[in-house]
Amino acid sequence: MTTGKQLIKGNTAIVEAALDAGCRFYAGYPITPQNEIPETMSWRMPEEGGTFIQAESELISINMVFGASAAGARAMTTSSSPGISLMQEGISYMAGCELPAVLVNVMRGGPGLGNIAPSQSDYFQAVKPGHGDFHIITLAPHNISEMYDYTFDAFDLADKYRIPVMILADGLLGQLMENVELDRSRKPALLNAPKPWALTGASGRKGQRIVSLLMQPGALEKHNMDLNEKYNLIKKNETRHELAGMEKNPEYLIAAFGTCARISKGTMNIAADAGIKTGLFRPITLWPFPYEALKEAAKKVKKVFVFEMNLGQMVEDVRLAVGDDSKIEFYGRPGGGVPTAEELFEFIRGKVK
Amino acid sequence: MSSPKQAAAVETKLTGGHRACAGCAFPIAIKEVLSSCKYPVVVVNATGCMEVTTTIFPFTAWKVPFLHNAFENSAATCSGIEGAYQSLKKQGKIDKNIKFVAFGGDGGTYDIGLQSLSGAMERGHDMMYVCYNNEAYMNTGVQRSSATPRGSSTTTAPAGKVINGKQQNPKDLTEIMVAHNIPYVAQTTVGMWPDATKKFEKAFEITGAKFVNIYSPCIPGWGIETSQTIKLSKLVVDTCMWPIYEVENGKYKINYKPATKLPVTEFYKTQARFKALLKDEAQIKLIQDWVDAKWARLQLMEEATNKA
Repeated sequence: MTTGKQLIKGNTAIVEAALDAGCRFYAGYPITPQNEIPETMSWRMPEEGGTFIQAESELISINMVFGASAAGARAMTTSSSPGISLMQEGISYMAGCELPAVLVNVMRGGPGLGNIAPSQSDYFQAVKPGHGDFHIITLAPHNISEMYDYTFDAFDLADKYRIPVMILADGLLGQLMENVELDRSRKPALLNAPKPWALTGASGRKGQRIVSLLMQPGALEKHNMDLNEKYNLIKKNETRHELAGMEKNPEYLIAAFGTCARISKGTMNIAADAGIKTGLFRPITLWPFPYEALKEAAKKVKKVFVFEMNLGQMVEDVRLAVGDDSKIEFYGRPGGGVPTAEELFEFIRGKVK
Repeated sequence: MSSPKQAAAVETKLTGGHRACAGCAFPIAIKEVLSSCKYPVVVVNATGCMEVTTTIFPFTAWKVPFLHNAFENSAATCSGIEGAYQSLKKQGKIDKNIKFVAFGGDGGTYDIGLQSLSGAMERGHDMMYVCYNNEAYMNTGVQRSSATPRGSSTTTAPAGKVINGKQQNPKDLTEIMVAHNIPYVAQTTVGMWPDATKKFEKAFEITGAKFVNIYSPCIPGWGIETSQTIKLSKLVVDTCMWPIYEVENGKYKINYKPATKLPVTEFYKTQARFKALLKDEAQIKLIQDWVDAKWARLQLMEEATNKA
C-alpha cells in the first residue's frame, strides 16, 4: 500500500494504519470476516520489525495485548463479534489497569455463532462493555479512508488517556474495497511520548505497579472516581460526530452510524428527489456519545429516524439525547440484514405522509 | 471391525449432499465413528468445517441427535449432556445405554478447546472425544494451528523470502491425552478403515473418557488433488510422522509398523503447502531427526509399558 489514491480493502487499511501509527505488537486469532487482518499482519508486521503472534484463542490475544501494553508497547488485537465476547474479561482488566491498546471489532450477525454477514449487533458490547464501572472509547468508521484514519488516531487516543480504544466496523466495511486518497504523511503525535507508568524494569527508579485489585476499604471507590474524572475529560475533549444536510433546513433527521450512515447518505438523495428534506447525524465516537450535539440538531426537526443493523441499540442513546420519544422512529435489520437506501426511504415516506 | 464394503451395506448416519469439499476426509471419519457404534449416539460438534458444511439451516446431514456449540466448547457441552443423562438415569427416567461423542478439528481441540477437553477427560465423563486433525484452521482460510507441522505454509505463517512457513513442531496432543490417565487414547487415520473402526468399536465399549485423534487430509488447505485423501492419509503413516497406536489403561500398542520407513520428504513432495520447505535441507533434517526421535520414543514406551 502506498500513499495517494488507491483501491484498498477495509481490513487492509486497518493493518496499514496501525503500522503507520507505530504499532509494533499484534496478537490475533482467526475469525471471519476479519481474517485479512491477522493474515496481512503475519507478514507486514515482521517487515516493519514488529511482533506478530497468532494466539490460541481470543482470550489469549487480548491478554497478550495486556502484557505488551503494560510493557509500554503500542499493541493491537482484532476480532469479530463472538471473539470480542471472549475478550471482555481482558478489556475490563485493561480498563481497570488503565492500559492503552487498540481493539478492532469487524462485527458479524449474532447472537451465538450467528453468521458472517455484516451487522451492528455489538453496539451494546462496545459502548457498554464488560463487568465493572468503566468505559472504552469507541470509534465508528463509515468508509475505507476512515478505517485508516480512525485506526491511526486510535493509538494516540489510547496513549493520551491510558484507555483501550475500539474501532467498531462490520463485515461490509472489513471486506469492502474502495478507491481512497490516503494521507500517509501524518506522524503519530504521541508515539515517542514517555510512558512513565509502563513496567520497564525498576533499575534506577522506584518500583511501580499496575493493578486492578484494590482491596483496602475505599481504595477501589477512589480508583473508580479517578477513572470517572478521566472519562469526563474524554467526554469533554473527544466527542465527535458528523452532521450533514442541515444547511437546507430539513424537516427530518436521520441518526445512524457506520455502514447504516453510509447507506443513509443514499437515502437522503432519494428523499431529496421526492421532495423530502433530511439531515444526517452520524456519531463518530459511540462512546463518548455526542448527546448534546444530537439534542441541538433534533430540536430543529419534526422527527428523528434511527437506522441500525440490529433491533435497536444506539436508539437508546438517541432517546436519551432527544428527550422526546414521540419524535423518534426506529427501523432495524438484524441477523446480517443490510438495508438498501430505497428501503430506508420507503420507511421514511411511510411515516411522513 | 468392518471393511468399507461391509459398512456400505448398513445405513449411513451421515447422509450425502452435505457441503464438504469433494475429497474431504472428515465425512469418512464421521462414518467410521458412527458405523462403529451399535448404541444410540449423541453427537456434539465444535465450530469448524464439519459443523458448517453438514448443518446449513434448514438442512442437516446428521441422522443422529446433534448439538453444536462454539469453537472451544464441544467437550464442555458434551460433559453437560452426559451429566444430564447420568442424572436422568439415577432418577430412573431413562434406561437406555446411550453413547456421547464430541467432534472438533485441530483448531478447536489443540488450541482454543484444550482447556475444556482437559477438564472433560480429567473428570472422566463417559464420552468419546474425536479430533479430526487436518493441521490448520481450514474453515477460516488455512491459518496455522498448534497441530500445523513445521515448514507448512499457512495464511498466518506464510512461506516467503525469509521463512518457509511455520517454524514450530506440532504439539503432541495424543500424548497430552495419555497424560490424563484415561482408559483409552488412540491415534488413527481416515485411510485405514479397519484400524479406525476397530478403535472406535473398542472405545464405545469402554466406560469413561476416551480420546481418538484421527488424521484428516484437507484438499484446499494442503494443496492436493481430490483423489489423494486416502493415499496421503496412509503415506504419512509410512513416514512415522503420524504413528498408528493406542494406549489402553496406560499400555501402549503400536498397531502398524511400516515395513519400510519412508523419509519425510516423500510426504512433503505431494503437497503445495510444503513447496518452500522442500528447498530447505537444514529444516528437513531438523524435522527428520525429530520424527525419528519421536518414533524411537514411542517404540520404547510400547516396550516399557508391556513388560510383565
